[in-house]
Amino acid sequence: MLELILETLIKAAIIVGLPLGSIPIILVVERRGAGFMQKRLGPNRVGPFGLMQPLADVFKFLFKEEVEPSHVRPFFYTIAPLIALVVAVMPLAVIPVAAPFDFNGKTIFPEVFHTDLGIFFAFAVSALGSYGILVAGWASNNKFSMLGALRACAQMVSYELSLTTAIVAMIFLYGSNDIHSIVAEQTGYWFGFLPKWGFFVQPVAAVLFLVGIFAESNRLPFDLAEGESELVAGYHIEYSSIKFAIFFMAEYVHMLVLSGLFIILFFGGYSLLPGMELLVGDSALMLTIMQVLSFIIKISLMVWFFVWVRWTLPRFRYDQLMMLGWERLLPLGIFNLIITVLVVHFRNH
Amino acid sequence: MTISKVLGFKRTLVRKMDIYESGVNPSGSATRQYDVKYYLTAILFLLFDVDLVFLLPWALGYQNAQDQTFMIYGFLFFMAILLVGYIFVINSNSLKWEE
Repeated sequence: MLELILETLIKAAIIVGLPLGSIPIILVVERRGAGFMQKRLGPNRVGPFGLMQPLADVFKFLFKEEVEPSHVRPFFYTIAPLIALVVAVMPLAVIPVAAPFDFNGKTIFPEVFHTDLGIFFAFAVSALGSYGILVAGWASNNKFSMLGALRACAQMVSYELSLTTAIVAMIFLYGSNDIHSIVAEQTGYWFGFLPKWGFFVQPVAAVLFLVGIFAESNRLPFDLAEGESELVAGYHIEYSSIKFAIFFMAEYVHMLVLSGLFIILFFGGYSLLPGMELLVGDSALMLTIMQVLSFIIKISLMVWFFVWVRWTLPRFRYDQLMMLGWERLLPLGIFNLIITVLVVHFRNH
Repeated sequence: MTISKVLGFKRTLVRKMDIYESGVNPSGSATRQYDVKYYLTAILFLLFDVDLVFLLPWALGYQNAQDQTFMIYGFLFFMAILLVGYIFVINSNSLKWEE
């Protein structure tokens, strides 16, 4: 029992600590990347190549005055950032970074909480993310924040539908909800060179899912909740100091979690990148290290993709956004699901 | 958050505690009437999402089912009902945002 608790604590420290620790790196990548794309420098003064910039930001946030305006609802105003962050971090518990491995004669699952319902759990929890935003917007008691929260909620639930159709199609294909067996299905190659990734089986579902995660994590081109030109800052307009920073952290963690799930469903999760087998050889330790490395590389590429899209596409108008969600993506997802099911069925019979 | 509360500067002004409205004097309350479409969207999301979530156990059960053809008929019937509902929703214009 004690051993189990110890094991869980160590895994929790690593798996939750690592993404939280990588947020500063994502911030640097995002700001320097923005500079790179707009032909300017970006923050480059603090430390070598501006790498210490996020650290400086954190200290600045800590030392700023924490204004709690007189018109807010104090209890909900205080807990809203905490809801946002906790809900964003929780799905990390079921995302594995490598295959189960043996350690001291014991099989260790490289995720905090091993369950057969991994995918289901992750999506159920990350869908709660809209509560943090809604509570923040309502508790701020401000017209901008209220509108921002309402918009964010309507947008998140709308895109969750097409996201769900993509997930159902993928789960039907893999016949399992367990992340390890989903990844096992995607290990190996077709014709000796093409990885057996879900993306090549289900490109439509992959696109639906990709659009869905951009909308879910409130990133451009779907950041209508924050739309500076119309709502100033949206749901966190009345927040200052570290509370504001916590909302940002929650957004980045949410982004990481959703890109992790995208990679698990469509890009083979922790399965090795092509060519990595040569490095592994027979060593089991090497295999685990390479799996972790592949997962980290795939996640980094996803994060870069988020930054890339953010500085390439302009923001949607709200009615266009809702029309895209309900009248284009949802029927596309439903027809994709029906066709997938029929093709699989008639191939079996 | 506690650290920030202790370390942060404190200069309390009355104006600072006001509602932020781009520097203009705040007018009216934030809990005024909002467009009913937000509510409609939420209700419709509930309907469709529950429908789609019902399909998750179905997708898991299909591989081990004894009569897979029957499962497919059930699925098609279910999707037909969903599609009829969807067409009704679109035709009722409850999701038209541009006016």
